[in-house]
Amino acid sequence: MEQLDGRLKSPPPTSDGRRAMVVPLVLLALGGLLAADLGPFASPVPPPTVVPAWAVDPTPVRRPSLRPEIELAGFTYRCSDCHRLFASPPETTRSLTQHRDIVLDHGINARCFNCHHLTNRDAFVDDWGREIPPDQPQLLCAKCHGPVYRDWLHGSHGRTDGYWDTRQGPQQRRKCIECHDPHRPPFPGLVPAPPPNTLRMGDQTSPRSEPAVGSPLWVYGPGPVDVDRSRLSEGDP
Amino acid sequence: MRRYFTFLWECGRISFVGDWRYHAWMTALTVMSLLGLYAWCQQLVHGLVTTGMTDQVSWGLYIANFTYLVGLAAAAAMLVIPVYVYRNMHLHDVVVFGELLAVAVIIMCLLFVTVDLGRPERALHLLRRFNFPLSMLTWDVIALCGYLLLNLHICGYLLYSAYCRRKPSPTFYVPFVFIAIVWAVSIHTVTAFLYVGLGGRPFWNSAIIAPRFLASAFAAGPAFIILTLQIVRKYTTHRVTDDALLTLRRIVQVAILINFFLLGCEAFTEFYTDSAHVASARYLYLGLHGRHGLVPWIWTAIACNALATILLVLPASRALPTLNTACVSAIVGIWIEKGMGLIVPAFIPTQLGELVEYAPTGREIMVCLGIWAFGLLLYTVFVRISVPVLAGELTCEQRYGVKGS
Amino acid sequence: MSSSPIGSGKRPGGPRGSRGTGLSRRGFLRKGAAAVAGATGLAGALSPLRALAPADWPTLEQFFQSHYKEMTPPEKQAVLERIAREVKARYQVDAEIDDPPPLVGVEYVYALNISRCIGCRRCVFACMKENNSSRAPEIQYIRVLKMQKGSIDVETSDHHYNPPMVPEHDSYYMPVQCHQCKKPPCVKVCPVGATWQEPDGITVIDYDWCIGCRYCEAACPYWARRFNFAAPQVPADQLNVNMSYLSNRPRAKGVMEKCTYCLHRVRRGRMPACVEACPTGSRKFGNVLDPDSEVAYILRHKRVYVFKEEVGTLPRFFYYFDERGSRYREPISTSQPGAEL
Repeated sequence: MEQLDGRLKSPPPTSDGRRAMVVPLVLLALGGLLAADLGPFASPVPPPTVVPAWAVDPTPVRRPSLRPEIELAGFTYRCSDCHRLFASPPETTRSLTQHRDIVLDHGINARCFNCHHLTNRDAFVDDWGREIPPDQPQLLCAKCHGPVYRDWLHGSHGRTDGYWDTRQGPQQRRKCIECHDPHRPPFPGLVPAPPPNTLRMGDQTSPRSEPAVGSPLWVYGPGPVDVDRSRLSEGDP
Repeated sequence: MRRYFTFLWECGRISFVGDWRYHAWMTALTVMSLLGLYAWCQQLVHGLVTTGMTDQVSWGLYIANFTYLVGLAAAAAMLVIPVYVYRNMHLHDVVVFGELLAVAVIIMCLLFVTVDLGRPERALHLLRRFNFPLSMLTWDVIALCGYLLLNLHICGYLLYSAYCRRKPSPTFYVPFVFIAIVWAVSIHTVTAFLYVGLGGRPFWNSAIIAPRFLASAFAAGPAFIILTLQIVRKYTTHRVTDDALLTLRRIVQVAILINFFLLGCEAFTEFYTDSAHVASARYLYLGLHGRHGLVPWIWTAIACNALATILLVLPASRALPTLNTACVSAIVGIWIEKGMGLIVPAFIPTQLGELVEYAPTGREIMVCLGIWAFGLLLYTVFVRISVPVLAGELTCEQRYGVKGS
Repeated sequence: MSSSPIGSGKRPGGPRGSRGTGLSRRGFLRKGAAAVAGATGLAGALSPLRALAPADWPTLEQFFQSHYKEMTPPEKQAVLERIAREVKARYQVDAEIDDPPPLVGVEYVYALNISRCIGCRRCVFACMKENNSSRAPEIQYIRVLKMQKGSIDVETSDHHYNPPMVPEHDSYYMPVQCHQCKKPPCVKVCPVGATWQEPDGITVIDYDWCIGCRYCEAACPYWARRFNFAAPQVPADQLNVNMSYLSNRPRAKGVMEKCTYCLHRVRRGRMPACVEACPTGSRKFGNVLDPDSEVAYILRHKRVYVFKEEVGTLPRFFYYFDERGSRYREPISTSQPGAEL
């Protein structure tokens, strides 16, 4: 078999004519097709995440006035306005006739006068019956919650707002009742901000929220401790 | 000097000379390369969001192909070692094809890294600030570019000497050949160390990764060369002996057995210990928490590797059809296992335990196919040039192929 | 091997030019057609680039811009002005962008009280807002993990919890962000040195130097680094105009970003946005070199541990818990004094 250019083992091709135009035509057609942009890119990016305003509001969960005041029917009264007129029985664990909106759920601290001064209702009371000013609630809480108070003093408990560098700006330590309702202290549950929605993350709604896998505690039974679930009420924080 | 430019001109010219099958092949590869380029341009416009990669799985098909191809490039040394170290002359005539493959494949590797970059126009920052020796990527850049230059020099020198009809002087290429042997092992070791050094990814943080890389590279590379040499034998006048193919078969045989053994070592370590670090391996082989995207892939890879291993140890593979089946099987199996079976599972689950699966997009696949096509295009051109030059048909004294179209 | 003579004489086929090796007109036309076709194919392949806006093409100034650490003060000033112009052009707001230097004698440490974190994710969104993080695709530097009681393995965690109210029963929450490690693996692996650690402990990124290889993202043990796969989208009316070069200025596609402890705030003495936003006060931040700081107290007295300590990165982020557990979430009974203890 003739070997024309040393490589072929077949008859030489007809090199001229239409066959030679195939390659240029293919490339021209390709160029045209690509430039026509027949398949534009459809972005898989999900709709923009909304940053909810309530989620970035740094206001503390409670905004107590730290003053001995109450609002009733549109008027603001000092506590002593009523309480200097009406005396209260000293050992009262009875249910209240006024302030019925207050639910006292503070553990074994079930006596009002453990915190409130017996005669001067504008103040709190310390262990010796002396007054604690109403804008210093932390001195009251410290009567029983010593370790937490110590942590609070050093900053490891509770919110610190302002500047970390007090040489450059002011710093405020939030007081106890700015987070904790004194009559029902456990920090309230909050509505969580939305979960992540990242690019191409797929379906993330499945079984991870079930507690059945992974944790060694859950291996041993229906729950890690014998929790009397009947004690838990709905929506409890 | 002028002769050198004539040489280059001639090389360029005869790249376009060939019969209709050659033109059809080259056109197909050109079309595919252009499609890949098109997909990459779309990626340049929109960003890497055109790929399937995410913050959770931040390396995907591009780096998988890069890893595989670095191994293929390293395996070119597998042709060189028998000839120059052990004086096994069966492979003497085909060494140059291994080196040329190394050049084409290294260019493909560099292209895969380039398309993976978020800001490829800033690649020159590597020249202005180079975090060597701390960053393994800098080692990899040096290793790959050095290997490319080494092989370009060796092949270029041999081809140009043949073109000038003078015997190549050993001083100008034999030392480089020996350097290339060591360098070939180191490019793949360095690439392995890219992954091994990351403590945050326990799937990679294992000493066995580098040896596995080398074993699988030395199986897949010569397998690839076995196939391409048969094509060279069929379509050119270059002499390729069966002994060459059988020597390569022997190399693939040993390497694939070692690779299988190392796979067994890895599987044992992961699953017998059954500690928390096994999560990625469990995802890969068995699926995890209802996600099993990679399970069919890895078991296909293991089946392909097992088939290749069995065929290669049988004497039946001395016959070319069986050998070719084994080679294709090995190439495919090792591609899956090194690419999807090594790169992607390390990201699933993430360092924080999140499970986000990865699937390459159409555009990503098109870019990969485009780079593969471009590499094959380059390799075809190299073979197209080197066969006549080495045969003495294209020299400074006689032009070649002027009669052909 | 070819036996026919080459290079001389006749060949079958069409007419040749006057020189033995010259081109005939047909040959020229054929080659020309092929070349034009090839060029057309190439142009077609490159055609998507016409969608690139002029602003996307790097200017010569940007191309030759130095690395942050090599910039002279006039260069820095010019760059800050350029960024302010770009922000104005894109968002129609005036940016106040500068480059606060690190404070001397300061090393920032973060402490997070996992007894108090309720998993409300307000930190996540405060961070997004402060740092001009992309809303589409969503980039959040902080990821809150809902962990199962009894396990510190993040394999058991749930990132996508969304109950009506948090905290949920018997879960604890562990927010994770960049730990600004003392031995950062991300800094080690960056090939171009686009990320480094500042003297005050914050690991920063020069967004104009990063080449987007994502090796740092692979190296980080805490999943703290984010990549801009697409051009980041921030609504103009929510843009935080107090920016700095190394932290919250708007980024471009193709570069990495991460939590910088709100560098532009903390170097002026303010708290990071996540600390300010936390409603329970679980997040504590300060200068660990100051013995009177909150974080120094915590490290001295609290039960502090480090996440993934075994990878040896020495994070500057500590989790701690109080002596009391999270039992307080159960209702307190008044009928049996002492029963809850």
